[in-house]
Parts: sequence; C-alpha cells; structure tokens
Amino acid sequence: MTLRFLKDEPYGTTRAFFLSSALWFVTGALMGLTDATHLSAPELLAPNVSWLTFGRIRPVHTTTMIFGFVGTGLLGAAHYMIPTLLRTSLFSERLGKLSLWVWNLSIAAGGITLMAGYSQGREYAEWIWPVDIGILAAFLLMFWNFFQTAQRREERILYVSVWYIFAALVFTWFIYFFGNAVWNPGSGAITGMPDAILAWFYGHGVVGLFLTPLAVAIAYYVIPIATRSPLYSHTLSLIGFWTILVIYTHIGTHHLLQTPVPTWLKVLSISGSIGMIVPVMTVLVNLWLTMRGRLGYLHADIGGKFVMAGLVWYILTCLQGPLQALPVIQRVTHLNNWVIAHAHMGVLGFSGIIALGGIYFILPRVTGRPIYSQRLADIQYWLVLLGMAGFFTVLTAAGLVQGHSWINGEVVYRTLPQLHPYLVVRASIGLLLVSASFIGLYNIFMSIYGTRFSRNTP
Amino acid sequence: MKMTPSLIILGSIVVFAPVLLIAVILPWVTISDAPSEIHRPRTGIEQEGRRIYVNNGCTYCHTQFVRNIDWDLGAERVAQSGDYIHDRPHLVGTARTGPDLSQQGGEHPDDWHLAHFINPRHTRPESLMPTWEFLGMERIGALTAYVQSLGFKSADYRVQRQNEWKRKAVEAFEAGPEENVRWMHSMVPEPCTRLPNPYPTTEADLKRGHRIYQGFCIGCHGPIGDGMGPAQPHLYPPPLNFTILKDRGITGGILYYQIMNGITGTAMPYFKRELESEKIWAVGNYVAVNFIGQSDAGGEPRGIAASYEPPRQE
Ligand code: HEC
Ligand code: HEC
Ligand code: HEM
Repeated sequence: MTLRFLKDEPYGTTRAFFLSSALWFVTGALMGLTDATHLSAPELLAPNVSWLTFGRIRPVHTTTMIFGFVGTGLLGAAHYMIPTLLRTSLFSERLGKLSLWVWNLSIAAGGITLMAGYSQGREYAEWIWPVDIGILAAFLLMFWNFFQTAQRREERILYVSVWYIFAALVFTWFIYFFGNAVWNPGSGAITGMPDAILAWFYGHGVVGLFLTPLAVAIAYYVIPIATRSPLYSHTLSLIGFWTILVIYTHIGTHHLLQTPVPTWLKVLSISGSIGMIVPVMTVLVNLWLTMRGRLGYLHADIGGKFVMAGLVWYILTCLQGPLQALPVIQRVTHLNNWVIAHAHMGVLGFSGIIALGGIYFILPRVTGRPIYSQRLADIQYWLVLLGMAGFFTVLTAAGLVQGHSWINGEVVYRTLPQLHPYLVVRASIGLLLVSASFIGLYNIFMSIYGTRFSRNTP
Repeated sequence: MKMTPSLIILGSIVVFAPVLLIAVILPWVTISDAPSEIHRPRTGIEQEGRRIYVNNGCTYCHTQFVRNIDWDLGAERVAQSGDYIHDRPHLVGTARTGPDLSQQGGEHPDDWHLAHFINPRHTRPESLMPTWEFLGMERIGALTAYVQSLGFKSADYRVQRQNEWKRKAVEAFEAGPEENVRWMHSMVPEPCTRLPNPYPTTEADLKRGHRIYQGFCIGCHGPIGDGMGPAQPHLYPPPLNFTILKDRGITGGILYYQIMNGITGTAMPYFKRELESEKIWAVGNYVAVNFIGQSDAGGEPRGIAASYEPPRQE
C-alpha cells in the first residue's frame, strides 16, 4: 500500500508536487475568498462557526498559499531542474515522494489545527510544534535527495539555478528552525521585543529566502531555454546570488520600524532594504539582456509567458519594497491594506505566477506530451493577471484611504464605512483567482492523468 | 568563482551565522528587560485570555503598540520596549483593521465588552469584527479580563474608576427614572446644563443626525430611542430610554456634553474622538427632536449667528 504511494517512476516526484501545488492553490484561494467575504459582510458566512472565523482562517490562507501553493510548485520544479541541470536522474524518486507526503501532511495538519484553534500566533509561523518538525523533516529529506543527486552528477559545472536551490534549502531550514523557536515547543517564540525581531527575521526570510530564490531559479532556467539564447553573464549571476543572501537576510526589522526596537537595527534594515535594489536589478538585468529581442519566443511558450509576467511583478514588488521601507512613507502605508497589496504582489504576482510558469514549462517534459489544454492555461494566465492587477489597485487605494484618514486624526471605526466598497470589490476580484485555481487544477490533473482525452484538444 | 555544492552550502552557512548573530542575537541579548513604569505581571485569568486572543487570531486585526503619530485609542501613551518584557509570543501586530488595543484596559466597563464580544454590531453598528459568541461565557470572561489588563497599571487605574462609577450609576438607575436623570445631569458641569443648542433645527441637520445615530448609537439606544437596541440584554444599567428625559430639564448643552464625554461606569462611551463638534450637535438634536420631543435648538441665549445659518425667525 505505502509502496504504491511511493512508486518509483521517472519524474513521478515532480508530477506529484505539481498536482499537490494545484490542489493547495484551490484550497488557499477558497480560504482567501472566505476571509474577503468576512471583511465585506462579517455575518454573511456562518458567523458563529468557530473554525470558519476570520482570525482562524486567515493564517490558514497565508500558510497554505506560501507553503502549499507557491512553495510546493517551486519545490516540484526544483526536483526537475536539479537532476536535469546536473545531467543525471534524481537520486531517489521514492525519497522524493516520501518528502512530499511529509510536506503535504504537515501543511494539512497545520491548517486543520489552526482551524481547531491551536496557533502560535506569529505571522506565517502559526503552526504548532509537531507541524514545524514535519516541515523541517521534509526539508531535510529534500535536501538529502538533492545533495545525493549532486554527488552523482555528470555535469561538473553548476548552473545558477542549482546555486539558488541549494541556498534556498539551507537558508530556509535554518530560518525556519530559529524563526519558529523550535527549542520552545509550547510557545514557538521567545519573549518581548526580541520575539518580534525574531519573528520578522523569519517572516521576511520565508518570502525572501524560500520563495524568492526558488522562483529566481526557475526564471534562470526557463528564460534561456525558452528564448533559445545563452545566459548573458556569469559575473552578474554571481553578484546577484551572493548579494541577495547577504542583504535579504538582515532586513526583517523593516516590519517593525514604528515599534520600540533599537534604532541601530532600524537603520540597518532600512539601508539593507534600499540595498536590495542591487541583487534584484542584477538578476533582472542579466535576464533582460538574455532575452532582449527574443520576447516572441518567450511568449510563444505558455510557461515562458507566465515566467515573464512574474518577473514584471518582481520588478514592481522590489521597487515598492525599498520605498515602503522608508519611515516617511510608512507613516501612511504601515498597518493598512497597502501592505496587503504588496504581500499579494510578492507572493502571488511574483513567486506564485513563476511557480505556475515552472509547472507549465516543465509538465510536458515530465509527462512526455503537451499540456492538456493550452487554451485553459491561457485563460488561467489572464485570470491570474487580472486578479493580481485588480488586487493591487484596490488594496493600495484602500490602504491610502486608511493611512491618510488616520494621519488626519480619524479613528479606525470612522474609516470602516469608507473601506467597505473597496473590500467588496476585493472579494469579487477574489472570485477571479478562485476560478483561476480551479482551472489550473483541472488542467494540471488532466495533463498528468488524462492521456485518453489529451490527443484531440487544441 | 567556481561554484560547487560544498561552496554553496558552506557559503550559505557562513553568511547566515553572522547575520543571525547581528540581526537577532545581538538585539536579543542587549535589549533591556527592565519593566516600563506601567508594567506589571499578568494574572492567571489574563494569561488565559491572552491564549484565547492568540488562538483566535485577534492579532490580524489589532496591533498592540501606539505610535507618536496616532490619534485613536491609547494615543496618550506611546509604546515602550519595557511594556513587552513578558510577552510570549509578541502580539505587536501588523494591521489595524480594528483599533490598537495596547491601552484598551478600562476604556469600557465589562458589560460593554460582553455585548461587544457577543456581537460587535451590538455596540458598534458598523463594525466588521467577527462575533465571538461561540467561545462561550467562560472564555469571553477570560478574554475580557485580558483586554481589561491591556495597559497594565494604567489599565488597572481606569478599570477601578469604571467600577466606582458603575456602582453609582447602578444605584441611580435602581432609584427610578426621576433620580437617574437627576444624577446623570448633576454630573454635567453647570454652564453646559443651561446651554441651549446654538444652531437651529434644519432638514439637513436632522438628516446628518440620523446618519450618525445609525452608525454609532442604534445598537444600544435602539431604532426608536427607547433603549431597547440589541445590546440591551447585556448592559446594566441598560441604555437610556430617551423618552424619560422629557420635561426633566434636558438641554442641548447636556446632550452635547454627555455625548462628547460619555458616562464612565456605564456602557455609554465618549464620542469626542470620533465625532467633530458639528456631528455631536447634529446627533444630539436628532435625539431631542425625534425621541425626546423637546428641542431648544436655536433658542436663547445665543451669540452672533454663524455665517451659514438661515434667517432666524423672531
Ligand atoms: C476582522 C478583524 C477583527 C478581528 C479578527 C478582531 N477584531 Fe476587534 N475590532 C475590529 C474592528 C473593526 C473594531 C472597531 C469596531 C468595534 O469596536 O467593533 C474592533 C474593536 C475591538 C475592541 C474595542 C475597541 C474599542 O474600545 O473601541 C476590542 C476590545 C476588540 N476589538 C477586541 C478583539 C478581540 C479580543 C479579538 C479576538 C478575539 C478581536 N477583537 C478580533 C476588528 C477585528
Ligand atoms: C454601548 C451602548 C451605548 C451606545 C453605543 C450609546 N449609548 Fe448613550 N447611553 C448608554 C447608556 C448605558 C447610558 C446611561 C444609562 C444610565 O446610566 O441610566 C447612555 C446615556 C446616554 C445619554 C445621557 C442622557 C442624559 O440626559 O444624561 C445620552 C444623551 C446618550 N446616551 C446619547 C447617545 C448617543 C447620541 C449615542 C451615539 C452617538 C449613544 N448614546 C451611544 C449606552 C450607549
Ligand atoms: C526588494 C525587495 C523587497 C523589499 C525591500 C520589501 C520590503 C517590505 C516592507 C518594508 C514590508 C513591510 C511593510 C509594512 O509593514 O509597512 C514588506 C511586507 C511584505 N513583503 Fe516585501 N519587500 C520586498 C520584496 C518582497 C517579495 C519578493 C515578497 C514575496 C515573495 C514580499 C512579501 C512581503 C509580504 C508577504 C509582506 C507582508 C508582511 C506582513 O504580513 O505584514 N516582499 N516588504
């Protein structure tokens, strides 16, 4: 029985990761829609059902999206890229599948316990201790699998994507371990202001050193192949790689600029946030010079198209990021929906869309046939893009309304009616993303299992 | 640079270790754990309430730190590191969908919180906070104890003041409407008790008053001003039935002062943070015209007419 779940078949691990990611996307999107509905009409959806209340569903939404949808998609792609770029096969498909089971069960257990009312309370680190252990174990299994694959490699030169994947696993493991204060099983936290600092070291690291490098690895992989041109510069790759590791790690305190943390730490985080322009721009310039004049090729490939869109959101996120790390800007933008817009742009617009790009680019290579439906993937592309742009617009606008009202002396309660129309529009836009997630699930499922139908679709 | 797996893995660790040291461990060991002037340890039930707060995600809508640019709840005291020395996990928060709660203790009496937790729309008609009835009375009690402790010693002082005035308000309420009204009005400074509403009643003014009443008062005082709003069963003394004010010396000034300043000890909150002067006059006059049936708006003594005013009928 277990052995059937762990069946040893070429690329089976990657396929299973992709399918899981698609399933988590649906789950996370439904949770998001639930929360958006609560915010538009707090008593519309089962108001007194404990496990459906806003405060319990919200962490399920964020962790499902970060780890479940985006994380699983990116890791699935990594399980394909590592052996392919090293010209060997994955060390063990069985181990790969085992790690996926541990991973998926942990995410599911995390969601269920949160809904049951067990939380450790710190953003993106809410999962209780046993779940943390599961996640750490899954990372270790994946790391071992990659490491052993690298030991057996035929290719001596490691391509950039491989660097990012290894670094992401190492960093994520340590950041997860320390960030969740795993040595304090009961609380998953330390005490006082240092806990806020640790929690945001973690919260920032999860998006910056888990999602970002893995997404960048996919971009580095897909762009040269899809545009049929070699990577522009090895030196730029090196600069981009080492600077992101050095800079991204120590700027988490920019989430706490208005709290009583030590000033020197705030200065460090603000200057580092501005410094983030270096790693981001070197990567983007490197990729841009690779694809320059060849965008036609990129857009002819559905995976390439997603990756390109993700990179555009990457630029926008990382131009906005340093800006909103400035204290003058935060006087208006901190604590309101402006930040929610940024968060969606980073997690969905950038790394989420790139994860989808990776999935569609790699699927044909791991199933040996084209994806089930090009058209559905196209529809999904536009739905996600529209949804993302809509979210960005409406949440940023709502955030500005809140921020400016507060600074003018209006209390939070007075701004609620002003906020209402934005929150309703936001929930409606959420519907686009929910549909996109279902379309994606169907398409990915059929691409993997639907051999019988795939021949006569466009 | 030739990149190999060991270079990447070791390099990552070599980068990670000093960053952890500088950005986390250094502040961890150097931040003082001396308590601030208001800090005190939490009691068992407050700790229990804090757990409920964590498990139900209150932190996604409420921050617990006041900034020096704030005007809302608690703005009188900016957060200090010494306020947090026992907090595990921290609950500083990143979003203010609802107001900051770091100085919540004593802002309202316990009965206000009960009505509010059972359904926030009871006391705050336009709230988007979830209902918490499912927690059951015991856990709502613990949660209340926790929010009443936010602000530590300052909170204790405010809670004690609520309790003192609650005793007097209950006494007055139980002595019957005549005595209750006399007591409430004896708390209003004398110049206000004699001040009529200086602005004449207009159609526009009543409309504005109606809008404010719907958004701020209706959950307690009820749609017809009889004090039978949905919060009523949870509040004691219950929300005022405005009709009992008729022929008992009510003036625009009393209404203004009571709405601005609230009646500490009862669920009646102060509205000076949320309503500007014009809105307070407007909602006061709305209550006077519609529910009390007696309005002194635009009456003597009054000063020079404000420039917008329509011609006065002599
Ligand atoms: C969906 C967001 C949301 C969640 C979750 C939430 N609140 Fe609120 N809360 C609000 C809003 C909005 C207000 C302002 C309107 C009102 O008073 O209801 C508020 C107001 C309050 C107030 C009154 C502040 C005052 O004096 O005016 C308290 C106390 C409070 N919340 C406690 C809690 C607790 C405890 C929890 C968790 C059990 C919680 N809230 C969860 C949104 C939320
Ligand atoms: C949370 C419930 C609550 C809300 C909301 C509320 N009130 Fe009250 N109000 C009370 C209670 C309780 C009393 C005092 C009853 C007593 O002591 O007998 C009171 C008393 C008053 C009085 C005192 C009258 C007097 O003659 O001294 C006025 C005026 C009043 N409310 C007007 C308002 C207005 C206007 C609003 C909306 C802007 C409002 N209230 C909102 C509960 C509330
Ligand atoms: C150059 C890069 C970036 C910088 C300098 C930056 C900066 C910031 C800052 C200052 C905040 C806090 C805003 C506030 O609370 O006022 C923030 C929040 C956030 N960022 Fe970024 N950002 C960058 C890129 C990204 C990327 C690539 C992602 C996702 C992959 C991301 C995800 C998030 C999320 C999820 C939050 C919300 C945290 C919360 O819950 O409060 N950011 N960012």
